[in-house]
Amino acid sequence: MTIADDLRLALIQADPRLSKFNPLPRILFYDDFDEGVHGWAELIGNHDGNLDNVRPIMADLRPPQLSSCTFFDIGTHGSVHGTYALKLATRAKANHMAQLIKRLTFVRQGLVQFETYFTYKAEQVFSRAKGDTAVWDGNFDPSETDFGDFTISNDVCEGHEGTRYHCALRYLNTDEHGKLVQKWLYKTSVQTSTKMHRAGVAPPAADYHVQHPDDWREVPGGYQPMCFNEVPTKVNWHYLRWTFDTRTRRNTELQVNDLVMDLRDIPVPVYEVTYKGLSHLLNFCIDVRTHRNVRNFLYLDSVLVSVDW
Amino acid sequence: MQQSLTAVVERNVTFDAAFATEPYEAGWAAEARWFVRVLEAAGEGAELLLHPQISPDGLFWCDEGSAPLVAHGPGLYSCALRDFGAWLRLRGEVHGESASFKVVIALALKG
Repeated sequence: MTIADDLRLALIQADPRLSKFNPLPRILFYDDFDEGVHGWAELIGNHDGNLDNVRPIMADLRPPQLSSCTFFDIGTHGSVHGTYALKLATRAKANHMAQLIKRLTFVRQGLVQFETYFTYKAEQVFSRAKGDTAVWDGNFDPSETDFGDFTISNDVCEGHEGTRYHCALRYLNTDEHGKLVQKWLYKTSVQTSTKMHRAGVAPPAADYHVQHPDDWREVPGGYQPMCFNEVPTKVNWHYLRWTFDTRTRRNTELQVNDLVMDLRDIPVPVYEVTYKGLSHLLNFCIDVRTHRNVRNFLYLDSVLVSVDW
Repeated sequence: MQQSLTAVVERNVTFDAAFATEPYEAGWAAEARWFVRVLEAAGEGAELLLHPQISPDGLFWCDEGSAPLVAHGPGLYSCALRDFGAWLRLRGEVHGESASFKVVIALALKG
């Protein structure tokens, strides 16, 4: 450690906005959602100006919301710092997904680290679906089983017609039957692109991230019950740190609270075809998907992305 | 400088019966404006009524009280809101024999 390193660390630790993060040497962006959406935009599939030509799975990924985390029972919860959080909301329709994207390009290849404080919730419902036998016992609330999954991912392309890939890590809260799984997953196939779809080399995607819905594997050591906190109107924020390396085309680490998962040996699928116009692409994506006819929400208090360039 | 944000809440969707748009949180904004672009209208005597609605929590809703937007054919329609609280949506009614409307609905917020 040099004196400059010590000084930098002291400055970060003395700043209440930054001291809850662990940034790499260069902070690429810091997003406090009390100030706006900071470039987190709804993802839409490619089209030619005719929005009827957007693939169905990418046609309705929902706009960002600046949420005060307000609920029917207590009013406003607020975020970690200030009032607002970035909110993703699905429709109340099984398998519907909401996704936001932030688009950059990279200056150099290297380590990229995404950090956030997040929470997830299912919308309050006042009567359980027919056949749902889950019972509120004063501690466990069935609404926890109304939350499906959320995923963090990227989109990287190394140059004009260069190698392209997506890293994607999913927290699967429940399976399709509403049974709690609470595990981190990684994907094993590339995401169906509009180009692949139009060329007829891939069927219409049932899961946005993969060719087939079963193309996911468990991250070793990735079982992690989180703090849903009993009811759908209590918000507890969780720390997440995800690092990937664009030199090795791999995830490096995922940390969520005290669980640190080494991802260096996990393969990341790479496209066989190349793409024009994506030179040095570096996109960050977050999404949430409901498995039931209940709205699911993902909230981010703030995001910090840093690099070792 | 003020913040502003435009959300496209429905995109090339066809409605042929009563509906409501998804709940949208807008507590940070001082003013809101709905834009409804009717792309296609079909049916004898087709009429689309859109009532701005407000909610304290995104679960329980009432009409905001403004006159509804009325559309009978393609075009861009708009209405502005203030003092709306925290959540917004539009409640739609479709009238007419075999009537339907294909629309894009955007919500522009500022504050």
